[in-house]
Amino acid sequence: MLCDNCGKNNATTHIRSVVNGVVTEKNLCGYCAAKQGYSSISNNGLAGMLASMFSDVLSSGSNSAEKRCPVCGASFSDIAESGKVGCAECYNTFYDELLPYLKRVHGSTKHTGKIPNKAPLAVKPEKETVEDLRMQLNTLIREEKFEQAAVIRDKIKKLEGKENE
Amino acid sequence: MSNWYNVTAPDDDIAVSSRIRLARNLTGLPFPSRMSGQQLAELNEKVKAAVLESNTPFAKTLKFIPMDSVPENQVYAMVERHIISREFAANRQGRAIILSDDESISIMIGEEDHIRIQVILGGLQLEKAYDTAERLDTLLCDRLGFAFDQRLGFLTECPTNLGTGLRASVMLHLPLLESSGEIAALSDSVSKIGFTFRGMYGEGTKALASLYQVSNQITLGISEKNALDNLSIITKQLIEKERQSYKGINHLKMEDICFRALGTLKNCRILSSEEMMKLLSRIKLGQSMGIIDIKESPVRLLIEGQPYMLMRKHGDMSAEERDACRAEMIRKALE
Repeated sequence: MLCDNCGKNNATTHIRSVVNGVVTEKNLCGYCAAKQGYSSISNNGLAGMLASMFSDVLSSGSNSAEKRCPVCGASFSDIAESGKVGCAECYNTFYDELLPYLKRVHGSTKHTGKIPNKAPLAVKPEKETVEDLRMQLNTLIREEKFEQAAVIRDKIKKLEGKENE
Repeated sequence: MSNWYNVTAPDDDIAVSSRIRLARNLTGLPFPSRMSGQQLAELNEKVKAAVLESNTPFAKTLKFIPMDSVPENQVYAMVERHIISREFAANRQGRAIILSDDESISIMIGEEDHIRIQVILGGLQLEKAYDTAERLDTLLCDRLGFAFDQRLGFLTECPTNLGTGLRASVMLHLPLLESSGEIAALSDSVSKIGFTFRGMYGEGTKALASLYQVSNQITLGISEKNALDNLSIITKQLIEKERQSYKGINHLKMEDICFRALGTLKNCRILSSEEMMKLLSRIKLGQSMGIIDIKESPVRLLIEGQPYMLMRKHGDMSAEERDACRAEMIRKALE
């Protein structure tokens, strides 16, 4: 069968879409499929699989959907819908929400591989102490970044709460 | 300099190529889906400087290539040589790659992750490929600083790559396991232990040139070494199984099949890519079994006979023109 789009190459990708109950089908060659934005099945497969794992989040509309990443602004439902995380800080912001899914995908939630010499910057939550957070908070307040400061303030409260237990 | 498919390599009677991919992201920039054009340009410059201004051998062999400067035929010829992904090619505006002279090392900038380091070598050479990728990773990490979390490892746009960010894969030529039907059961058991097994160049489970790819799926909670060792063990078992299948084969029948394929390729005037792949697969099997003694690499022909690879050399062509051009190219190579 030849590609519906170019009519030159053999069709290797079958695309069936259902929009408002109307079914349309087309057969494309790899090149036309890629050009029309249907990337390789393996990519879609993984993201798709992930999105389907998140489906309970999407339907329940839980509280975590309201929370947003202070750096990129992504909400957890943005991540769940696309199967893609917005930025490195999202992993910190939505750590608790993501954990069960990571467990399902990888069977583990603890990295055991390479550690870079210069384990850098933004995300080092395990070593984060109240002291560190206070310094960050002061800087943010000085720079009038109040939204981000509020996130840090909540973190400090949480940490102090744990310490008092 | 010679590409991976032009040189002989360990176990290349069955293992066609070994590939390592590391997914990495910089701190301080959103992941590519949320990046602006300006941020992408900034990322390109940062990665370019980190590699080319480093005082290492990498700086001498690697070249920075903005994708906007590459003609369309060349772009898709890169996909056919496995240098870039199809997705990267389709959305290449503003994107760039860094590529080595022999094309064994490529860095896609701004694909699904900020940086995708890829090393591809012929045969079964996972460790060697990983060594190179790891050195480049360390160089880039020292100069750029990668997003890393002590619990979750290297942070990636898709959580399926989290941890090591390592995807290792081997492409295998398994014609006899395919024809005996054993491939389905093997594929099942390989998938059950956390590996992906899929046919290349074909639809669904049917592989066009009996080429299959095995790769690791899990990246969190397993070290790079363990992931590579496991993949290597599985691959070696598959290679051994394929070699053992030689024994039960009717030799005369096999000679007939292989020499008919050679006869067709030496004499054809029109050759579709599908037929080419089917016949070259038989030539490769004949070579591996010691039936056909030719120097030419069927894998090289298979890659150079792909549509965009032909057009890269000979300019734009219709499908019919390509089939004639392909037939001529293969005939000449087998003369």
